[in-house]
Amino acid sequence: MEIKTTGVAGTLESSDIQIMISKGTDGIQIDLDSEVAKAYGDQIKKVITDTLKKYGLDNVKVKATDKGALDCVIEARTLAAAQRATETSDKPELGVL
Amino acid sequence: MDKVVDLYLNDSSTRRKWKHFLEKLGLNNFSSREIDVIDHTLGLVDDAGNLVGTGSIAGNVLKYIGVCNEGAQPGARFNKIVTALQQYIFNQKIFHSFVFTKAKYSKSFQHLGFNELAHTKQAAFLESGTPDVNAFLDTIPKVKDQKNKKVAAIVMNANPFTLGHRHLIELANQENDLVYVFVVAANASLFNTDERMKLVQAGTADLKNIFVVSGGDYMVSRATFPAYFLKSPDDLVATQTQIDANVFKNIIAPCLFINSRYIGTEPFSRTTSFYNQSLIQVLEPSIKVILVPRYEVNGQVITATKVRQLIKDDNLLAIQKLVPSTTMDFIKNNKEILQDRIKKGMNIDGN
Repeated sequence: MEIKTTGVAGTLESSDIQIMISKGTDGIQIDLDSEVAKAYGDQIKKVITDTLKKYGLDNVKVKATDKGALDCVIEARTLAAAQRATETSDKPELGVL
Repeated sequence: MDKVVDLYLNDSSTRRKWKHFLEKLGLNNFSSREIDVIDHTLGLVDDAGNLVGTGSIAGNVLKYIGVCNEGAQPGARFNKIVTALQQYIFNQKIFHSFVFTKAKYSKSFQHLGFNELAHTKQAAFLESGTPDVNAFLDTIPKVKDQKNKKVAAIVMNANPFTLGHRHLIELANQENDLVYVFVVAANASLFNTDERMKLVQAGTADLKNIFVVSGGDYMVSRATFPAYFLKSPDDLVATQTQIDANVFKNIIAPCLFINSRYIGTEPFSRTTSFYNQSLIQVLEPSIKVILVPRYEVNGQVITATKVRQLIKDDNLLAIQKLVPSTTMDFIKNNKEILQDRIKKGMNIDGN
């Protein structure tokens, strides 16, 4: 799967996470901003990484601004951002979820 | 539940309400310099229909953001309005935004993933999204073993490139291993960004060890610096200079191992002279500032301002002595276009 543009999904409101995805060159690189990074940072990154890999993306720059999102939210936002970045929103691969 | 709505400031009653709301929050600069550049304004209204928050977009700069936290969870409205503003620019494929704000609000923006580039006592400058300052620094060419070289920088608007600019670059070139010439990217000059860049490149093509690069969004231009949040317009120059100098000192210079910055003395413009003073204050001693006396031809100092005046006066013969042949050729070939821009109101007295 190829990243064609920058894709964003999610908001900065409480219990949500904003994911911005753009083309990377060096694997999946995640810049995470979260109040709970100390406790849940690794888990949040894992959910993002797993979702991207399932979607067939290996070289991605991710900027994630977390406001206390649950895993299912993180997954959904990552998937939406990935679809927007790859311009495949019109043919969603729901099987990924 | 608060609702996000579009606010159209062209409508005078909307504008009055909006202005009144921000005035209550302590903003009082509504000059046309600040307002005219706004592309879009959003508002937040509560269940009773009262305006409880607002924010505006000017290009990729967020401004006039204000919220009233009464009856709401602290931060919730702020987050909502900033999200809405970002969504608005994302829809226009703008994924990189800036905010200039009061220093005390810097933290609030940092909570939303903004990265602080510089701050002064009064103001803070932050960015969000991609490509960010690190991506910008990655695009700048570097040489091997740059860490151990003498590296100098010059920032110029070059509107247009004159023999004075050339003299400054030559001098830096002689005294250093490598010189970065940053051309101010803000497009607010008689010669547009692209033209200024090309003329600097053409005028220095024969010199070695020079990199002519765009200053990107990180050489903060006075022309585009938002001042709406400052107490008085007099603070504009001081604040802009300090922000600009701090970005240079703390972010740009360390990454490129720049150890000196060359600037021309300023005999005429009080603003530029003031700018030079504060630049020295911020940069020294970590970065050496070298003040070079203005280059003179026949006892007359060369300024780009004079060149622009001569273009207006249609006196091309007099320009010949002030600019390199590359700039001269461009002016000759584009005289009508340039004069037309002046006629259409382009200010030629500034920088």
